[in-house]
Amino acid sequence: MKKKFLSVLMAACMVCSLAACGNDSGQQSSAGNTGSEGSSSSVVENSEASGAENSGAEAGGEASGELVDGRFAETRHISVEVYDRGNDGGSDPTNNKYTEYIKKGMLEDHNVEVEFVKVPRWTEVEQINNLLAAGDAPDICLTYDYATIQIYADMGGVIDLAPLVDANVDITPNLWNWLEDANINYDRNPKTGTLWAIEGKRADIKRINTFVRRDWLEALNMEAPTTAQEFEDMLVAFKENASTLLGADADKMVPFSITTDVTWRAANIIDSYRDPAITDKEQYVNGYHVIARDGTKEAIRLVNKWYNMGLIWKDFALYDTSGTEETDMMKSGYVGAFIHNWDLPYRDGEDGIQANLQRLVGENAAYVAIDCFPDTAGKYSKSSYSTAGDRKLFFPTTNDEPLASLLYLDWISDPEHIKYLQIGDEGVTHEVFEDGAIGIIPATGDAIMNSGQNIDYTITCNGLNMFDDELTAKSAAHNYAAVAPELIITASEMAMHDALIPKAVQVGEISSESGMGSILGDKVKVMLSNCVMAPEADFDKTWDDAYTDWLNSGAQAIIDERLQKWEETYGDAEMLP
Amino acid sequence: MKSKKVTVPQRKQKPGAYIKRYWQLYALLALPMLYLLIFKYIPMVYIQIAFKKYSIVQSVWEMPLAANHGFEYFIKAFSNKDFILALRNTIMLNLLDLVVGFPAPIIFALILNELCFKKFKRVVQTIAYMPHFLSWIIIYGLALQLFAPTNGLINMWITSMGFEPIPFLNESKHWVGTYVGLGVWQNFGWGSIVYLASIAGISPELYEAASVDGAGRFKKMWHITLPGIKPTIVTLLVMNLGGILGSGFDRPFALQNTIVRDVAEVISTYVYKVGIRGLQFSLTTAIGLFQSIVCVFFLLLSNWLARRLGERGIW
Repeated sequence: MKKKFLSVLMAACMVCSLAACGNDSGQQSSAGNTGSEGSSSSVVENSEASGAENSGAEAGGEASGELVDGRFAETRHISVEVYDRGNDGGSDPTNNKYTEYIKKGMLEDHNVEVEFVKVPRWTEVEQINNLLAAGDAPDICLTYDYATIQIYADMGGVIDLAPLVDANVDITPNLWNWLEDANINYDRNPKTGTLWAIEGKRADIKRINTFVRRDWLEALNMEAPTTAQEFEDMLVAFKENASTLLGADADKMVPFSITTDVTWRAANIIDSYRDPAITDKEQYVNGYHVIARDGTKEAIRLVNKWYNMGLIWKDFALYDTSGTEETDMMKSGYVGAFIHNWDLPYRDGEDGIQANLQRLVGENAAYVAIDCFPDTAGKYSKSSYSTAGDRKLFFPTTNDEPLASLLYLDWISDPEHIKYLQIGDEGVTHEVFEDGAIGIIPATGDAIMNSGQNIDYTITCNGLNMFDDELTAKSAAHNYAAVAPELIITASEMAMHDALIPKAVQVGEISSESGMGSILGDKVKVMLSNCVMAPEADFDKTWDDAYTDWLNSGAQAIIDERLQKWEETYGDAEMLP
Repeated sequence: MKSKKVTVPQRKQKPGAYIKRYWQLYALLALPMLYLLIFKYIPMVYIQIAFKKYSIVQSVWEMPLAANHGFEYFIKAFSNKDFILALRNTIMLNLLDLVVGFPAPIIFALILNELCFKKFKRVVQTIAYMPHFLSWIIIYGLALQLFAPTNGLINMWITSMGFEPIPFLNESKHWVGTYVGLGVWQNFGWGSIVYLASIAGISPELYEAASVDGAGRFKKMWHITLPGIKPTIVTLLVMNLGGILGSGFDRPFALQNTIVRDVAEVISTYVYKVGIRGLQFSLTTAIGLFQSIVCVFFLLLSNWLARRLGERGIW
């Protein structure tokens, strides 16, 4: 009896699983069908401009008819990607005080229901790939990686925004006021006119700083260095006085710390070796990666010299850049100097590097930003960000509500909405100081912001923006919990001191770059790690061999195509118009 | 063989009646079969991606054929220096694994078999199994703590005794040694289970007879135990040879680091980096297909060799 019951159960299981499979495959095939329809239309868009205009006109034409006072007659539904940072004790990124604010606002203003879809921040490219490939991507997607969008656009998986944006200028005033033509049309292909993504805007273009331990300089009675030589002397002094500075932990001293991402972690040194008279053309053509630029080799030679002098973290190449080993060393107070994000040590409040340092080492311990790598013209040139190049917003072809999605981008760019999302309510997430500056205070529960200034929701705006420059600057200094405002002010001055703002070069897609980003980037990491660790006598050979290999692996083709596209677009001009 | 003859007449029934009689067993078999069908065979339809220009929005049947009669991506792979390097590393690391790692569990099983303290034997066995249950990520974490050039425990001992630190993880040749060594350490205990079971199946009468004839420990090991487990050894060897071009993903991926990439990049990690992160699906499907075909070839070849040498092989 038991046996019979069991076998019936098994058979039932089997039938169920069969049925489940049937459903699955059914869904798959239908997804495939809609996908292929989408692709065929977008293929048309690709090849014939007229096709694109048609579909755009349709979208635009339909739109204005449907909207009454900016509201849809029937409730529409869109889904929006939001990063999940997995913070300890954070709020649910898809359901908290701020998502409620957005949902309520969108429903009232446009009669659009908004649903948030979370994507893990640190694997966003892989995740969005999976979602796109499965046809499950949110209606509004964002990524920092334009190459990914380009690849899917080439496969017909992304909506061309050009007709949609052009037809709806009058109903998206906030979008145009905030992003302006520069960011909206940043990625528009000058030849085909396609626009696969809109560039979100950085309100804050500060990028990178060199940091040193102020208390170590004081303990050794040294001035902050102002040249590379003085910086080197300082590192040597740190090393020689390790037992004074660290006592029993002297052997853990790391005078200067880097990771395998050498181009980033030595960026200020590399930029100081850049020819100040470099033309825009050369900057662009050899600009796919900084290792192709003249002078970079000499900068890395200097780092190699320091490595061989024992001034650099010896084991850096063994650790993945996403690991916490290096940050832990900084927090414990073993690291003397490093180059990184302009405010890195001050981030994360009580969990951050600065707060930990003060707790573990002493109140006086601090990383302070300095400028010590002048170029041949005597300027402390370092690259800042441009307003574009941050998050790119795009609509996959599975988006059935492009207009509602565009209205969402407009809504989220409204100054009032940005302001509220960034600072929240007074007394809950911020306080107002006597001088009018706004300071963030720790929030609890639903009101916790998972990302600084809620940048995960203000997808068209990255960085504090009170739409009043003076108030923004004043408030920014108060924006770092547990860090003295003067450290922030110094860091923000240093980061913009002689900063070079990248210029936009619009020559269309460089097809040889497609799909090469991670491979060539990986090769550079391997190459530079080996170069830094090579014995000084072998440096030239290590560099030359690896550089040749890098060029042959696809970089030369990119450089050639960039040159060709530059000449097609700008002719003989050496500088941008 | 004899027992089979007895059962044959019973089975001489009409297939319908036969299935009716044993349908419960077939119902039980259906689930695993279904699993294989859905997760192993149906996905094979997508092998064609290797010959086509991949697109996410088209079904696999609609994708256009790649250039060179569909062989564009195979040609691309073989003209790519990095792929050739990954191929070389895969073969090198797997061969080393085979040479060093294959005999290790056999030797361990033989030694364990000679132990007469039952309790001690069991403790040793259990401890030797343990590493098998650690993931490679954890093993790499342990390896870093032990072998890192400046902070690693072993290198700290070495330097405190006045010697130069050994670059276990940050120099290509040493890294290969560490890679193989850790592989052996993780697997020899687990691998020995099969051999121990097969040793247990050897008739004790043979040992008794040998003792009577005056054979010592080593003679018995050589003439009885080893021949007794030879079929097991051959079967496992055939399966191992079949995997000569395959490789797990997590072991090389967890153990490799930036400076030893020249020996540490294997096909599976290369496919991950180029295919999944670089989005070159067709290229990496082609590489995967090539890898599988070579594996099947090796499997058939070694099986054929085993049969030629008078063993049963695996089928």
